[in-house]
Amino acid sequence: MSRHLRIVLVHPPRESDASLRAAALQAGLAEAGYQLVASLPADIHLPERIAQLQPDMIIADAESDARDVLEHIVVATRDERRPIVMFTEDDKTSSMEAALEAGVSAYIVAGLQPERIKPVLNVALARFRKEQKLLHELADTKHKLAERKVIDRAKGVLMARHGISEDQAYQRLRTMAMNKNLKLAEVAQRLLDVEDLLG
Amino acid sequence: MHIEKQAVRIGFNPLTDCAALLMASVLGCDERHGIRIVPSREASWAGMRDKLVTGELDAAHALLGMVYGTQLGIGAQRHDMAVLMHLNRNGQAITLSRHLMAQGAVDGASLAGLLQSERRQYVFAQTFPTGTHAMWLYYWLAAHGIDPLRDVRAITIPPSQMVYNLAEGHMDGFCAGEPWGQRAVMDGIGVTVATSQQIWPDHPEKVLATSRAFADAHPNTCRALIAAVLEASRWIDASDENRRATAEILAGGAVVATDRAALLPRMLGRYDDGMGRQWQDAHPLAFHQDGQANYPYLSDGIWFMTQLRRWGLLKAHPDYEATARAVTRVQLYREAAELAGVTAPAGTARSSTLIDGRLWDGSDPERYALAFPIRQR
Repeated sequence: MSRHLRIVLVHPPRESDASLRAAALQAGLAEAGYQLVASLPADIHLPERIAQLQPDMIIADAESDARDVLEHIVVATRDERRPIVMFTEDDKTSSMEAALEAGVSAYIVAGLQPERIKPVLNVALARFRKEQKLLHELADTKHKLAERKVIDRAKGVLMARHGISEDQAYQRLRTMAMNKNLKLAEVAQRLLDVEDLLG
Repeated sequence: MHIEKQAVRIGFNPLTDCAALLMASVLGCDERHGIRIVPSREASWAGMRDKLVTGELDAAHALLGMVYGTQLGIGAQRHDMAVLMHLNRNGQAITLSRHLMAQGAVDGASLAGLLQSERRQYVFAQTFPTGTHAMWLYYWLAAHGIDPLRDVRAITIPPSQMVYNLAEGHMDGFCAGEPWGQRAVMDGIGVTVATSQQIWPDHPEKVLATSRAFADAHPNTCRALIAAVLEASRWIDASDENRRATAEILAGGAVVATDRAALLPRMLGRYDDGMGRQWQDAHPLAFHQDGQANYPYLSDGIWFMTQLRRWGLLKAHPDYEATARAVTRVQLYREAAELAGVTAPAGTARSSTLIDGRLWDGSDPERYALAFPIRQR
């Protein structure tokens, strides 16, 4: 899996200590068997290039001012998130752990041995996927809860209207849903809409 | 008073308006209140925010809009933040390239005219997606009938790269803090078409921010810090001499690393727009204003949330009032102001009229956010 990751490395627009760090990391990635699809300067064309390349992962220098340009990309593509890995000189493990909590997928310490890079990136990717899965599940649960509410309200309407039990109300909704080939929640919503309309 | 943490690591971005934080350490205001400020020069706002969240920094020079962006989870995972005090008002600017000026764009109205007559993609830069400069730029464009989301392309560029990119013709204009507007004029690359104080006279700008966890665990450290920075703010605002001395320190390599000549004029309120007009500004960069500039008005914070909503950075209305109350440490500020002998205003809202004639008094943020004809729909 990791061999096919499309990785983009972002380096500062002009020469500096930070770009030396980027070069070292690039060498480390190559040695670890990763294929970089691009090493891009953090200039005003970066957002467009990222949009074209659609990488699986972006790696950037945490201490570079290009961080804010990357933040722009994150905000602009909030609906199609991708893991971002930061590398830094700071080897305080506590801050790395906290960074993970904070949503950045990983902080790699520059000068990391090539054989260590691969597991770190794999963990970052796994972590990102897990987080995305949890977010989806959360959205799904919220949606189901909302549906539940609609169905309960529709049952209430039927019970009051026809003086029937909750179970009978539910059966009616379900029969209607099957006959019309609709989801239960959709039938319930239609019933509530009509109720609203007619008062 | 037991100080929970004596050495306080404070992040700053190399801009004129980090002055009070640095001067609090240079003048020894910190030691008088039993703490020691350890300044840390940071390269990016996002990096600063991450370090506040991880606790690598205790406090930071921050964009008010960014603090709310973090509190509400725009871009990164949401994290509870605290605003201890405001650091300055005014003093940011919108710069257009000389090329655009040569085509007749010398203010908002003429820029709108140029956009109509010469159709191409115009690019404008700001410094952070949820930051103050993005909001000033968008507000100013929209006030002149230009939709910042549809009619132009807005990008994020670090402040120190603005002048270079403008010179290279990569973009048409930018909004950033000083000294970058003045630098563009000095270098003959751009012209100042609007100051941020023209958009909102005496608007809030940078703040002293911490994570909520830090403020909760270190209330006395926070009080001492606020008091120290208040004293430094008062000192800077006391005379032109003090502002000159401050500019001297800021110009040094460890801080902004630029000519004092680029820093000083606008710190003294002296403007030159690069088009032959010079003036002494009525609402220049202010660090103190007898404490008015430092008081964290709730309505100031709420305004930024209305703009985040206006431009679709927030997809729904937040609970404006409750969020502002949770973030803003008004009580802590009041107690610290007493320590420093600074008067704090009584209310938590103020009213201002912005460039488009709209009145903002903090009273109905939801309606305010939806009343703009130009906004994301």
